[in-house]
Amino acid sequence: MSASVPVRLTVNGTEHELQVEPRLLLVHLIRDRLGLTGTHVGCDTSNCGACTLHVDGEAVKSCTVLAVQADGATVKTIEGMANGDALHPLQEAFWNDHGLQCGYCTPGMIMAAADLLARNPDPSEDEIRHGLEGNLCRCTGYQNIVKAVKDAAGELRAAQAQPVTQEVV
Amino acid sequence: MRVDPRARGAVRYSVDADMPGQLHAALVRSTVAHGVVRGIDVSGVAPGVTVLLPEDVADLPLYGCQIADQAVLAERPRHAGDVVAAVAAPTPAAARAAARAVVVEVDELPAVFDALDAAREEAPLLHEGLSVSDNDAAYFGIRPVAGTNICHRFRIRHGDVEAGFAAADVVVEGTFRTPAAAHVPMEPHATVARFTEDGRLEVVTGTQTPFNMRMELAAMFGLDEEDVRIVVPPMGGSFGAKTFTRQEGIVAALARKTGRPVKLVLGRSEEFLTLNRHPSIVHVRLGATRTGDLVAKAVTCWADTGAYADCGPGVAQKMGFAAPGPYRIPNCWVDAHAVYTNTPPNGAFRGYGAMQSIWASERTMDLLAARLGTGPLELRRRNLLRDGDAYATGEAMHGTCFEELLDRAAAAVGYEHDPAGKGLCLVMKGMQTPSRASIAIEREGDGYVIRCATTEMGQGARRSLALLAAERLGCRPEQIRVPDPDTDRVPYDTRTTSSRSTFMMAGALAEACEALLEDGRRGHGTIVNDGGLDPDTGQGVASTHWHQAAGAAHLEVDEETGRVRLHRVHCAVYAGRVVNAPGAALQNEGSMTMGLGTALFESVDFNEGQVTNANLSDYNVPTARDAAALTHELVEREGAPIHGLGETALPPVPAAIGNALASLGIELYDLPMTPERVLEAIDRRAAPSPEPDLEARRR
Repeated sequence: MSASVPVRLTVNGTEHELQVEPRLLLVHLIRDRLGLTGTHVGCDTSNCGACTLHVDGEAVKSCTVLAVQADGATVKTIEGMANGDALHPLQEAFWNDHGLQCGYCTPGMIMAAADLLARNPDPSEDEIRHGLEGNLCRCTGYQNIVKAVKDAAGELRAAQAQPVTQEVV
Repeated sequence: MRVDPRARGAVRYSVDADMPGQLHAALVRSTVAHGVVRGIDVSGVAPGVTVLLPEDVADLPLYGCQIADQAVLAERPRHAGDVVAAVAAPTPAAARAAARAVVVEVDELPAVFDALDAAREEAPLLHEGLSVSDNDAAYFGIRPVAGTNICHRFRIRHGDVEAGFAAADVVVEGTFRTPAAAHVPMEPHATVARFTEDGRLEVVTGTQTPFNMRMELAAMFGLDEEDVRIVVPPMGGSFGAKTFTRQEGIVAALARKTGRPVKLVLGRSEEFLTLNRHPSIVHVRLGATRTGDLVAKAVTCWADTGAYADCGPGVAQKMGFAAPGPYRIPNCWVDAHAVYTNTPPNGAFRGYGAMQSIWASERTMDLLAARLGTGPLELRRRNLLRDGDAYATGEAMHGTCFEELLDRAAAAVGYEHDPAGKGLCLVMKGMQTPSRASIAIEREGDGYVIRCATTEMGQGARRSLALLAAERLGCRPEQIRVPDPDTDRVPYDTRTTSSRSTFMMAGALAEACEALLEDGRRGHGTIVNDGGLDPDTGQGVASTHWHQAAGAAHLEVDEETGRVRLHRVHCAVYAGRVVNAPGAALQNEGSMTMGLGTALFESVDFNEGQVTNANLSDYNVPTARDAAALTHELVEREGAPIHGLGETALPPVPAAIGNALASLGIELYDLPMTPERVLEAIDRRAAPSPEPDLEARRR
């Protein structure tokens, strides 16, 4: 077994410094070492997208990233999406629009959708379907997932359009 | 505020279940399809790893939910991937490394991979002497054919089929094939188990069949059923994959040997070696009068159940009693068989044999319509079952609405306006009969708790039960808690299969709520649906009520590439009464999407018994892009009983698409309808239709 190496990373706002085997995958660091089990493993081959999380703001499939590659990075998982009790608009929309059944693909789907909306705040239905092609859902048939992403996009755009109150010193 | 844990990634599935002090397991699998283990060399295994060998489980009897034919570890592997040894180590990585270090020496035996080859008298036998299981999943008169690989045969004898064909003006026939398919639940199989100090076996696992598993593990380890506890967390999908006993016996045997809790999570590639959908070969011969009245139908079904029977006898039987289809046919004979081959076991899969039969029969309806020169819609309308008609099993039909479903599906694609590029399919599918459901409900704080064995796999069972109980008790659904099934705490239920739970549990729950209102504190309800078929004649009651649907497809084909472009696929599904509208819609959408995969993409491929596409790169399931053309509707009837919706919208999709291709002269007999097969069918279009494979008619 290879000697362990140090990894420093920030996950959902908390800094961690861990000793890991060089072969450890990021998804296993997140799930087994940090206990964040909302990130799921579905296929081991980066096809299903259940393990999708954000590294430095971009969606990655964490079953194909080594933990050591995330050294120094900022990671966000599904557990970091809500702000306390306030769900992220995508979480709200997946819930309200019934864009989930067993829930196993949901975290990865939400993280992939967040990345999609960051790059394209007003996607068409076809763009949403294309953007989520790397995330498999075997339960729902995707219709409500697409609807949820569309609705969340509207919410996020509306929030952006709100005038931001600035404190005047 | 109660926030849905699914939206927060807060659900704890079986893969997330841990027991303190647990070891991690990995499996050692046979690389040959049929052989005898000559030796297992464990000298390369790291110290501190426990290896479970066949001699460690020699005291454990054979198991299997319908036929006891499977050993916990295979001394005689019967498929490539059969588990011959297992290891337990401190970490999953150490376990995987140890499993790779185990060297298994196997003497090969002759193997057989095709159901028709396997059914020949001279075929190598997979099992010598078959004993029907002492399990309540083996309830229907299983008929192994001695000295062959046929582990069950089922017959329907309704009328005189030869006289019927003699009276027919037109007879068509065809042989239809469907491949093995993978369930692909996003969460793989996962189990953690331990023996407690007082000798009880505790198992946390994803399963749709907690009580069948309790029965099987108790028999395996010589325990009273009460000394086996099965706890079922929510499953990340199942679709039939997590039924009966899979890896649980091995995990429990490792726990027994190590004296520690043991956890096992299968890798995705192992899923393809664990349980798949039955490949089928179905031969249909259908006769009608010149005016289009069906007079005779003869169907022979071959369900390839793989190396172990699992519930293959039940699947073959359902394939058989779905074969007449929702039509009046005075003379109908069916011969259905479950056959062993040296491939991974095949078992329950959303639709449970019905899809295979419906694909063959509904394609044959369109062959007949073409031969008669009548329209596929008229032919179906003319012959469909109505209330009071006798089905081929002798039972009188009730609560039918096939005509309305067919009309709605046809209207959705404008079938009557122009049938070109369009196809129809009519579906009738049974529900588990007989079965028994029990449920208990108790007051808890200012609400209630439901104790029930119905498992949650994404279908929304808990939500439906909470909605039904709230309606009965006059409270809000949020006041009702439905904890994970735990066989120590919930009353008996047959299993969460065959789209039976909402209907059966609703009946039991109504009784339980009434009892609770009387008692003030708790109530208990039980419901039994009686019935069953004589396996030699197929007469009796196949299903308490029937799941009904119609599908319609509209498509075009790129004749250069063979690619099918769907304009729309629509399903009209009978719900009786909808309990949970968003959940019902999701069940339809999910079933249709899985049906789309079955129709166009999905096939577990083999080369000499080795799976060649055991990953999600090479085994393609539908994505969000593929599903864009799917639509559906639910049909309700005032005062009608609840009909389950877990599977009904899957079988219409392949045959509706197949018949839409047939409307363009592109006749397909085998699933999936890949571009290669479409191109071959385009090349055949000018030529007369192929000779049916009469080999499949052999009985």
